[in-house]
Amino acid sequence: MTTKDPDEPAASRPVPAASRPVPAEAGPRALARRRRRASAARFWARYRTHRSGLFGLGALALFALVALTAPLTVGSGVQSVTDAPGRPMESPSAEFPLGTDQFGRSLLGLVVWGARVSLLVGLLAAVLSVAIGTLIGITAGHFRGWFATLMMRITDWFLVMPTLVLAIVLATVLSRSLGTVVLAIGVTTWPTTARLVRAQTLAVEARPYIERARALGGGHWHVMSRHVLPNVMPLVLAQTTLIISSAILAEATLAFLGLGDPTVVSWGGLLQDAREAGAVSAGKWWYLVPPGLAIAVVALAFTLCGRAVESVLNPRLGVAR
Amino acid sequence: MTRDPAVAAGAAPPPDDRRARVRGTAYPRYVAGKLGGAAVSLLAVLVTSFFLFRLIPGDPVKFMTGGRQVSAEQLAAYRREFGLDLPLWEQFTDYCGKALTGDLGTSYQFRAPVVDRIGEALPNTLLLTGTSFVLYTVIGVVLGTRAAWRHGGPGDRFHTGLALVLYSIPSFWLGLLLIIVFSVGAGPVPGLFPTGGMESGGEEGFAYVLDVAHHLVLPVVTLVAVEYGQTLLVARSALLDEMGGDYLTTARAKGLRDVLVRRRHAVPNALLPTMTLVFINLGRTVAGVILVETVFSWPGLGGLFYQALSVPDLPLVQGLFFAFAAAVIVMNTLADLLHPLLDPRVGR
Amino acid sequence: MDAQDQYGTGGAVRRLFLVAGAAALTLTVGLVTPLNPAPQRAEAENGKRVLTVAVAQSVDSLSPFLAARLVSTSIHRLTYEYLTNYDPKDNHAVPGLATAWKPSADKLTWTYTIRDDSTWSDGKRVTAEDAAWTFTTMMTDEGAATANGSFVANFEKVTAPSPTKLVIELKKPQATMAALDVPIVPKHVWEKVGDFSKFNNDKKFPVVGNGPFVLTDYKTDSYVRLKPNKSFWRGAPKFDELVFKYYKDGDAAVAALQKGEVSFVSGLTPAQAAALKSRQDVRVNDAPGRRFYALATNPGARAKNGERFGDGHESLLHQKVRRALFMAVDRRTVVDKVFQGHAVEGEGYIPPRFPEYSWKPGQDQRITYDPAGAARLLDEAGYRKNGDGRRVGKDGKPITYRVLCHATDPQDKAVGQYLKEWFGDLGIGVSLDCRDNVSDPWLAGEYDLAFDGWSVNPDPDFVLSIHTCGALPATPEDTGATDNFICDKKYDALYERQLAEYDATRRADIVKRMESRLYDTGYMNVMAYPNAVEAYRTDQIASITTMPEAAGNIYGQDGYWSWWSATPAASDGSSGGSAQTGVIIGIVAGVVVLAGLGVFFAVRRRATTEDRE
Repeated sequence: MTTKDPDEPAASRPVPAASRPVPAEAGPRALARRRRRASAARFWARYRTHRSGLFGLGALALFALVALTAPLTVGSGVQSVTDAPGRPMESPSAEFPLGTDQFGRSLLGLVVWGARVSLLVGLLAAVLSVAIGTLIGITAGHFRGWFATLMMRITDWFLVMPTLVLAIVLATVLSRSLGTVVLAIGVTTWPTTARLVRAQTLAVEARPYIERARALGGGHWHVMSRHVLPNVMPLVLAQTTLIISSAILAEATLAFLGLGDPTVVSWGGLLQDAREAGAVSAGKWWYLVPPGLAIAVVALAFTLCGRAVESVLNPRLGVAR
Repeated sequence: MTRDPAVAAGAAPPPDDRRARVRGTAYPRYVAGKLGGAAVSLLAVLVTSFFLFRLIPGDPVKFMTGGRQVSAEQLAAYRREFGLDLPLWEQFTDYCGKALTGDLGTSYQFRAPVVDRIGEALPNTLLLTGTSFVLYTVIGVVLGTRAAWRHGGPGDRFHTGLALVLYSIPSFWLGLLLIIVFSVGAGPVPGLFPTGGMESGGEEGFAYVLDVAHHLVLPVVTLVAVEYGQTLLVARSALLDEMGGDYLTTARAKGLRDVLVRRRHAVPNALLPTMTLVFINLGRTVAGVILVETVFSWPGLGGLFYQALSVPDLPLVQGLFFAFAAAVIVMNTLADLLHPLLDPRVGR
Repeated sequence: MDAQDQYGTGGAVRRLFLVAGAAALTLTVGLVTPLNPAPQRAEAENGKRVLTVAVAQSVDSLSPFLAARLVSTSIHRLTYEYLTNYDPKDNHAVPGLATAWKPSADKLTWTYTIRDDSTWSDGKRVTAEDAAWTFTTMMTDEGAATANGSFVANFEKVTAPSPTKLVIELKKPQATMAALDVPIVPKHVWEKVGDFSKFNNDKKFPVVGNGPFVLTDYKTDSYVRLKPNKSFWRGAPKFDELVFKYYKDGDAAVAALQKGEVSFVSGLTPAQAAALKSRQDVRVNDAPGRRFYALATNPGARAKNGERFGDGHESLLHQKVRRALFMAVDRRTVVDKVFQGHAVEGEGYIPPRFPEYSWKPGQDQRITYDPAGAARLLDEAGYRKNGDGRRVGKDGKPITYRVLCHATDPQDKAVGQYLKEWFGDLGIGVSLDCRDNVSDPWLAGEYDLAFDGWSVNPDPDFVLSIHTCGALPATPEDTGATDNFICDKKYDALYERQLAEYDATRRADIVKRMESRLYDTGYMNVMAYPNAVEAYRTDQIASITTMPEAAGNIYGQDGYWSWWSATPAASDGSSGGSAQTGVIIGIVAGVVVLAGLGVFFAVRRRATTEDRE
């Protein structure tokens, strides 16, 4: 117990059952599949005991459903300004349960439609971030020597960069589009993942079966993709869940600062519209509250899921159940 | 985005294995190493900020002369004045040389030294972040250790839950809501606090201090609300880690009361990793204050940065970027340097 | 590890923690104190009547030679007298520092009579020599020409034969000589300045000036403070102090107005104006604006040497296409929906706020909203729809126009949404390219359409000049004063004629013919003239002069009329007091909250202790 950071999934954590070396005898594929299924079942059994995790999962399922069915429920016509059904900034009524925006569009419809963009950007940015982090983490852990040193230097350097500042700069440099936002978030948030994955990689590679795999003629690619990657996957999964939460907040932040794509409806963009239209001082709370609440709930849900996953993988953390 | 995803799980951002190596080496050598590392990082930031901002579209000279008839000669004169006519690497060496002497160039839009503009805004940002920092650290540590001690109890569930909720709220949104409720006044709540800015102006002496404190309340509340969760979660899990320690069993076996065991033994030890994180967070808070400053019209570095970027006022943006990164680096280094001094287990 | 050892360490750590906390607090409090502003305002007595104006734009420079932003030039209007001013009733030139002016018979020499009753705030008399020195410095020093160099570009020589006589010799005739918006600075102060390109005039207060106000204090992005000039020749302003206070956020400024923290706010959104209108103590001033808001078309960017550059869409070179785009824009909707009525539908180039120059197209010349007609025109021009319903360019590809928009301007983004749908119905794609800084693609001619807008001065010369061939950049590498590369021979000929026409009525006629020509080319679709939507507290300001007086704006006038004329409301004496009360209430509330938290924790702590013991 030295100065290791308290909750971080450390290299020394109990090895998940899935990665215990199994004798490579009859039908290794089938065996591996069965093993994986068993460990997934075990994972779910433990995850289920986390009430907050279940709540998070439920909330996410709900939002995902809303986002996926949006074309059926509200339709893309909800974004149209020329066919806007209401007057500007109407207060909530039976016709418009959350009121209307500055163009007279239904805010409920926009919040529902905005879920698609916010969730999509959050997911893509997190996937990009984790992918970069995993790639750098595994390679830096696998190849030692100057390559690893260089990679870790770069990682350290990105760690000290003020993330928001860097993302703002990137979003300014590139043209305003969803891709830019995804990129800006993705390339500024990966270093934590890289460090965690590297530590895990080092631990995995120290195990005897890797030695065996090498002796049997397994190349770099084989070792990294067949042995290291499956072992860091649980960690990567937990990390992705947590980063999505950050990425959704980051998307909202960039949109709020006016760095998002102005023609796309997202929650952060709605907040920015509300602010530009003067909704705050005019007391039009219905323009401001729903998008912010949606961001907070989704970010919270992802955080809760991430914590539950972490806790299943590393039971020592006393995450509240 | 002032948050680090790993913190949600309670972990500090960089799992820094290097700190452990202090054991057995002399502290001065450790210090020298850390300071050297920090210097290299600062230099790297200096280099990046120079090249990164060359990517921003927009010819600064055309911006400065926009809307006026300017001859090629005049444009050339402007380029000479700001050293933009030199080859890139020469501009770069020039920039580095000047930066080492504390000259970060001249702002295009204000025609004043960048260092002056940063110097004007820095104290305001420090006032805001400093006050918030002290508050959210104290609140986070106190609540976090309490939650961990009664781990699983209703208090723990409540505080951890609340921390996670506030942690998930966008700071700018919270700020706007606070303005609506406590500044404009909503329903029965009168508008108690100013809507923005740092001072009313015209106040003297103690009245001035009160005036600034009055303006400080809402931005500080916003920052504390979104930031204390991180500290709480870290302090909580640090103490949970500590609670398995044998010495606590020993202490209890000696008949010490539970409160005393917690207050005198477990908490001080759990504070160590927390303090490290807290310093790292401070650096991040300085950079993350951009949003709160924007919402509350606080005349600090954040607002200046955002404005400079839209021009783009390259020298000012460069200087501010450097200032933000330097804040993070300095705080990280401070955490590194303090750590062996505070942690008895990291022997010297 | 021994528990005893732990005990000791724990104490040390706690002490260290406490010390760190105390140090941080001290640092915090310590930082507050040196921020204390200059102590020269110690005489601030109760009942001082302060006029506080909310502003958002940062001051770029307080030097009249460098300042270009509206906030800075407004301050200069208040602190330095210009040669002439504009009548608040009808914008005609009226005496400022000069009491009279007249051209010579050959139109090349202008003689100004300088008033003898204006003094600098340090007691020295203002003479023609100050004016001559100001102009000459701008003509000879590149740094001093930064902001207003264009005014002296055509000057041959400026002299002051006597303290009350200023003579300006021109290279060629210039009709705008009663509209020289140049602050005249005190020679005895400014001749000591070394480098005009670096001197910002913000270190020594009060700043020596001769306008209705004296600049007494300035703190970046916090405030600008001005005191009335008691010896101002036109009469001293009635408020005891004028403060420009910074609110970077429009909503914060409006909230401040609602609370009485500020007396005046400009640039309201429709929602804010609607919310403020319902208040008894606030008057919303919704006045015809001096700006036009247009959709500009890239006419094929080119330089004076004839070289073409940029990549504007070839279809836009057809007048029929431009006309079709004109017809596809429903200006009525822009006014009704985007500006929510706080604008006037656009027609001619110069807003109706300047009636002597404003022009409207006749019935047969007028281009009205007609999507079907637009589709017909496009068909005629040879841009027909393909199988997917998209119109195809000469290159065989579907047409998508890039529309350059200002990311900071909500109107651009809103109108952009409408354009997307209107043009979409015609079969033309729109990609909205919103940027913080549009000048790069703009100057490079790399756009198809762009949102454009200028504030028009009482003398329209400038906004007319930016569409002449002479304003094009010399080569693609240079920067021109051109707005969007329009170069039209007929227009240019008219421009030259109006500049040399010293008879006001005849000049106005020529200007109107220029506007008519511009309208027909279809390069500039003036969609609206946005109103100046402002509000002030009637319990702080009893009366204030708008410009034009009948219905006009307050902030950003051509002249110092609004702030100079503003009279405090009778009840205003209490405004300072109520702010004080607010502070006290706020702090009491803060203390109560803190105390409550303390009690809460103490109780919880006791509870914890009790159930443990």
